[in-house]
Amino acid sequence: MRLSRRNFLKLVAAMGATAFLSTYKAEVVEALNEVKDYWHICWLNGGACTGCTISFAQATDPDILEIFTSITVGNSRLPIALPDYMETIEPASGWLAEHLKERWKKGTKGRRILIIEGAIQKKGYCVIRGKDFSEHVLDVIDYADHIIAFGACACFGGIPSSHPNPSGAKGLQEFLREEGRDDLASKVINVPCCPGHPDHLVITLTAVMLGMKLELDQHNRPKLFFGRNMHMELCPYRPYYDMGIFETKPGEEGCRYKFGCKGPDVYTDCALRKWNNHVSYCVQVGAPCIGCAEPGFPDRFIPFYEPITNRRPFFNIDPNYVWVGGAVLAGTALMKKKRGEEE
Amino acid sequence: MKVVIDPVTRIEGHLRVTMELESVSTKTGNWFVVGKAYSSGMMFRGFEIFLKGKDPRDAFFFTQRICGVCPAAHAEASNQALDIAFDAVPVPPAATLIRNIIQCAYYIYDHMIHTYLLVGPELGILCKYPPMIPPVLGKEGIAKMGLGSSYAKCIEMQRKANEIVAIWGGKFPHHACGYPGGVTVKPTSERISQTVARAVELWEFVAKTMIRDIQAIIQANETVGEKVSEILGLNIRGLEDIGVGTGNFLSYGMLPDPENYEDWLKVAYGEKGRRKSAVFHAGAWDGSFKDFDLKKIQEFVKYAWYSDEYSGKRPDEEETVVELNKPGAYSWIKAPRYDGKVYEVGPLARMVNTFGLSWRIPRVHPITGEDLGDFVYKVRNPKGSVLDRVVARVANALICANKLIEFAKMLMEFKDSSICKYKDVPETGEGFGLYEAPRGALLHYLKIKNKVIERYQCVVPSTWNQSPRDDMGQPGVMEQSLQCGTTWLPTMDVPTVCSAIWGEDYGNLLRKALAPLGLAELNMEPVNGQKFNTTLALLIIRSFDPCIACAVHVISK
Ligand code: SF4
Ligand code: SF4
Repeated sequence: MRLSRRNFLKLVAAMGATAFLSTYKAEVVEALNEVKDYWHICWLNGGACTGCTISFAQATDPDILEIFTSITVGNSRLPIALPDYMETIEPASGWLAEHLKERWKKGTKGRRILIIEGAIQKKGYCVIRGKDFSEHVLDVIDYADHIIAFGACACFGGIPSSHPNPSGAKGLQEFLREEGRDDLASKVINVPCCPGHPDHLVITLTAVMLGMKLELDQHNRPKLFFGRNMHMELCPYRPYYDMGIFETKPGEEGCRYKFGCKGPDVYTDCALRKWNNHVSYCVQVGAPCIGCAEPGFPDRFIPFYEPITNRRPFFNIDPNYVWVGGAVLAGTALMKKKRGEEE
Repeated sequence: MKVVIDPVTRIEGHLRVTMELESVSTKTGNWFVVGKAYSSGMMFRGFEIFLKGKDPRDAFFFTQRICGVCPAAHAEASNQALDIAFDAVPVPPAATLIRNIIQCAYYIYDHMIHTYLLVGPELGILCKYPPMIPPVLGKEGIAKMGLGSSYAKCIEMQRKANEIVAIWGGKFPHHACGYPGGVTVKPTSERISQTVARAVELWEFVAKTMIRDIQAIIQANETVGEKVSEILGLNIRGLEDIGVGTGNFLSYGMLPDPENYEDWLKVAYGEKGRRKSAVFHAGAWDGSFKDFDLKKIQEFVKYAWYSDEYSGKRPDEEETVVELNKPGAYSWIKAPRYDGKVYEVGPLARMVNTFGLSWRIPRVHPITGEDLGDFVYKVRNPKGSVLDRVVARVANALICANKLIEFAKMLMEFKDSSICKYKDVPETGEGFGLYEAPRGALLHYLKIKNKVIERYQCVVPSTWNQSPRDDMGQPGVMEQSLQCGTTWLPTMDVPTVCSAIWGEDYGNLLRKALAPLGLAELNMEPVNGQKFNTTLALLIIRSFDPCIACAVHVISK
C-alpha cells in the first residue's frame, strides 16, 4: 500500500506509533525517498542530560542510521535528512561545527528543521563558544521552518526546573513568550516524555517532511500520541484498579495507584507502544508512572511513590486543586509570582 | 598561541578545551605541540539544590537525569546510597542479580557507542580501518567497501543492549525499577529468556567483532607510530605515547557478588578494602594494588565557579556555593583529589585495579562452548594513554558480555525469592553509594532528616578526569594528558596527514568523501590566519569518554 497524506495520520492513529512504524517501515522510507530535496536539521542541546539524543538512537523502524544515511535524495548519495548540527554525534567539532550551523541557516526555505533538546536557562549557565545557549536559540530560531521541542526539558522545563529551579530552567515555548516571540512559540511542536520517545520523533519528522499538519492539543503536543488518558483508556492494569487490587510494596501484584502511579493525570500512549522496540514500560516493571509526559513534571507528581491524593502542597498551593482540569497556566503564573523574589 | 576547541562534540555535554601551543624543533623541522591545556565544563543545572527537601525515594529518578548517557550508573549509585540510608541491606540476591543484569547490558551499550560512534571515527580514519570509518557513502559504502560496517552494526547492537535494560527497567534511558532495598520488577522466566536471547547476540558482537576491530587498531597503530615518528623526528611508539596520564588509578568496584553482599558493603561504611568478591575490584593503584579508603576523597574549587570557603572538604561535609564571576576560575567542574593527588578513573582504572597491568579474558561461546581463544593484553603505558584507554573499554565490554549471561542463568535459581528488603522511609539516615559509571568511579551521598533529603552530593567520574587545576596547582588528568608533550597539532589537514601515513590514494579518497559533506576542514581550528589540526587532541579528550552533564551537577546552598 502506498502512503499518502490522507491515510498516513489515520493509520498512525489507528495502529499506534510503534505498530505503524514496524508495519509500514518500507513505505515510510519509500515515501521519504520521493521527497526531492534535502531537509536540513539543526539539533541544539541546552540544559540537557543528552538522554533524548540517546533515546532517538534507539529508534528501530527506520533506525537512526537509515534516517541519516540510507534515505538519500536522488542519485546524490547524500542523506535526505542532513543533521548540519548535532553536538553529540556529528563529525565536526569546534569552529567547523559552528560553521555548519550557518550552512543550516542557508538551507532551502521551508525545509529547515530545528530540534531543541534540554531546557533554556538563565544567562551564564550554559555557554557554547562564548555565547549563552539562549542566544544560540534566538540566533537560529528565525531561520527555522519547523520547530520541535524534544523531551520534557525542552517542552516544559523538566527535571532541572524542579523547585527552587537554581538555574532558571524553562521550556522553549515559555522562553519564547518571555522574549516577546509569541508568533514563534505557537509554532513549536512539543514532543515530551523524559526522555522523548524515538517513535514520536520519527513520526513527527516524517509528517513534517511529507507536508502533513499534525493536530496539537492545548500544550502543543501531537494528539496522535498525547491524546488519550493512560488510566482511563489504555492501561492493562485497569481491571485491578476496578477490582480494588493494589500494589503497595515492591513484588505485590495489582494496580500501581497506591504505589504512586500518576496514570489518571497523564495523557500518553506509553501503555500501548511501550519503549525500546516495544519491550516494556514503567508500569509493567512494577513501578509507578511518574508523569513525564505532562507539563509540570516533576514537581506536579512528587513524591513519586505517594498516591496522587497524598501529594504535598506545593508553594502552599494544593496540587490537586491547581492541576485538575488543565489549569496549568494559572498554576505556572502563580508559581512565577512566588518565585519572583528569588530570581 | 592559543587553540580553543569549543564545542568539543561527540562527547556528552558542553566542553571547551583551551590549549597553549609550544613549538619544538627536531632534526626534521619545527612542530607545534600542546604546552598547557585547560578543560572547562560549560553547563550547570544544580541537582543537589533541588534534591533538598524531596522524598528520598525520588532521588533514584532525579539523579538519573544528571546524565542521559549514563543514567543507569547514577540509578545504581543512588539506589545503593538509599539501601544503606534506609538500613535495607543486604539487598536480596535476586535484586542484586537483576541490578547486575541491567548494569552489564547498559555497560555494553555505553562502551560500544563510545568505541564506534564517539572516539571511533578518528581511530578508524587515522588507522585506515574501514569498518570503523563512518559510512559516509550510505548503503553503497557499507556494501562495497565495508565502510562503517562495525559502526552500522553497533547502532543495531546498542539498541539490543538497551532492550535488556528495558525488559527489567521499563525503558532506557531513565529506567524505573529501583527501590530502596531492592527492585520492583519480578524475575519471570519470560524476562530471563528474553534477556538471554539478546545477550547471546551481544556476546557474539563483542567477542568477535569488537575484539577483531580493536586488534586491528592495535596493529595499525604501530604503522601510525612509525610514520609520525619519521615526520616529527621524535620517537613515538604510537597512541600509547599520546595522552599520557598520571599512572594513579581509582576504582570503587562494580557487579557485586549476590551471595556475598556483606563484603561489598564494607567499603561504603568507611572500611578500607578492595571489594575483591565483586567482578571489578575497588582500589587506588599507584604502581601497585592499594586499598581504597573513602576518607581520602576531597574536592577543591579554586579554579571553579564556586566559593572557596569550603574548598578541600569531603563529600559528606562540603557546602558549595556558586560564584559566577570568580576571578581565575574557568570551569563549572570541581577538582576531586584522592590523598591530595590526581587520579584517573574509567575502564582502564577498573582493569588495572582488578587485574594489574596484564589481562587475560576468556572468550568461550556461552551456548555452543566454542573457544575463540583468550583476549590477552599487556598495558602499553602504565601511566595511561589513548590506546590503553580504548582497549580497556573493549576489555570491559567483553567481561560484561560474559557476566551478563552468567547472571541471567543464575537468576533462574532465585525466581521465586524476595526482590526487596522493604523498609518505610526513615526519620533520619545517611549512606554512601559507591559504584562505577562506564566513565569511572561514581559516588553518591545522601542524608535524610524528617523523612526528606537534607543533603545530596555526587562526585562523578568526569569531575576526576576533566577537572581543572586544584588548589595546589595540579592540573586534572585530561589536562595533564594533553600537555604530556606529544600532542602534535599539525598545520596539515586530515587527508594530508593520512596521505603521509598511508599514501596518497588513501588521502585522496578521504578528501573526496569529506568534501560533499562540508567536512573538508574536519578538525581544523583557525588561529591568527593559520589552521591547526586538532585530531590528536580530540582523540585524547574523547579517550576519557567525557560526560559534562555529569561533571557539572553539583551545588547546595
Ligand atoms: S493507576 Fe496506573 S496502574 Fe492503576 S490502572 Fe491507572 S494507569 Fe494503570
Ligand atoms: S509510563 Fe509515565 S513515567 Fe513512564 S514514560 Fe510513560 S509517561 Fe513517562
